[in-house]
Amino acid sequence: MTRLTVETIDGVLERVIENGVESLDLRSVRFVDPYALLLLDLLVLEAEGRRSRLRIEWPEAPAVRRWMRAMGFFAQIGSTAGSAPAARDARSALQSITAISDEAGIGRVVDGFHRRLAERYPLTESSRRALTAIMIELFQNIPHHSNATGRIGDPHGIAAMQDYENSILLAIADKGVGLRGSLGLREGYEGITDSQALDAILRDGLSRFADAGRGGELQRIVGVVRSWDGAFALRSGSAFLYFDERGGDIYDVPPFPGVQLAVRIPLRLFDAPMVDP
Amino acid sequence: MAAMHVEEFRIAQFGARLGTRLEGESARERLESLLRSLPEEGQVRLSLDGLEVLSTSFADELVGKAYQRVVDGAFGDRTMVLETPSRELAEGIDVKLAQRRLAMLCLQGGRWRLVGFHTPALSETLQRILEKGRTTTRELAEELDLQMSACVNRVARLAELRLIRRRKIGMKGPQDIFEIHSILSG
Repeated sequence: MTRLTVETIDGVLERVIENGVESLDLRSVRFVDPYALLLLDLLVLEAEGRRSRLRIEWPEAPAVRRWMRAMGFFAQIGSTAGSAPAARDARSALQSITAISDEAGIGRVVDGFHRRLAERYPLTESSRRALTAIMIELFQNIPHHSNATGRIGDPHGIAAMQDYENSILLAIADKGVGLRGSLGLREGYEGITDSQALDAILRDGLSRFADAGRGGELQRIVGVVRSWDGAFALRSGSAFLYFDERGGDIYDVPPFPGVQLAVRIPLRLFDAPMVDP
Repeated sequence: MAAMHVEEFRIAQFGARLGTRLEGESARERLESLLRSLPEEGQVRLSLDGLEVLSTSFADELVGKAYQRVVDGAFGDRTMVLETPSRELAEGIDVKLAQRRLAMLCLQGGRWRLVGFHTPALSETLQRILEKGRTTTRELAEELDLQMSACVNRVARLAELRLIRRRKIGMKGPQDIFEIHSILSG
């Protein structure tokens, strides 16, 4: 495997979670996206939590190593590969891995993401507003829902962002109770599956709260991303929804705790020049 | 009817970019305190001026929940009207009020519209009331070419949503006759 991305990272999870491998060789990996990076972070944590003896050999490609270091990945997982990045390497990361814990800190986190984005791209007023509103809604889902049962010690909410030739990828992840765990607290939804929960939340705009004003945020974000011809990935438990401008579906994936989400936004929304495919 | 007491509540006093429910909850305490301090039939003009971003979560926590309590009668006959410099800024409020099946008067550049859940029939009736400032169900029924019962139902719904004020002034047969007032005048 040479690329760890939204499309491929479940292959890694499958080997560790379903096949029980204890040694993961990622030395030949030449590219990692922020979504896969956050899942690797959670996978390491999850393995530690289960006292599993998972050994990972990290990518050898210097550029990938530098980027992972600049994203704060090695520092996050407490790896010895985690020396501080050189200043020029730090610039390769658009927004390094950032913890999202309590609701009170979300404004500050959003401001940080927004500042990093504005430093590189001339945001249009409406895209700036829309993107900020999306971040606020997605980030606050972590304190609102990841520990809805009150039984999770640390849901480990994290987010990161990276820019590419034609797009920006925003990734948000936690290892909390997941969509099923949250929606399952609502009367009448106790026995639902992961894919039913995903469907109910994204298609019907439901939330674990019966209050009429709650819910619908993810459904609206999906609509906005579609209108931008962007891509959207949401993984919870053993269900994975993915769509881009060509369409999409819900897929079965190896079970993993929490919710992991990625939004890919075309750079043209920021009035930035795009590279022709 | 005496001149209405109107107080402005600028949401931007809490910041230019507002998003979390926690922030909305804290702002709602201030809004509800202002509503309580107004005389009976007073009005809060909720201003979005100076805001850059207003998320749907914040909109629901501040406006959706407070307006639900206004409609439920928790603040007597006091009313709330939205004022926005742009349609885009009011979108979150529009979405959340619709989700709660509520509707609110929204002023933009001297014009009004309804945000939230509404029907063409409700808008048509409200438009006539706002144009006239004061009318009766009988006059409205004639002008809108409606059966009296249909007109009374529309007026009742508008009054329930605190989009107008009505006062019973008599009866005609089994029907109550109401005097109706716009909440933008007075």
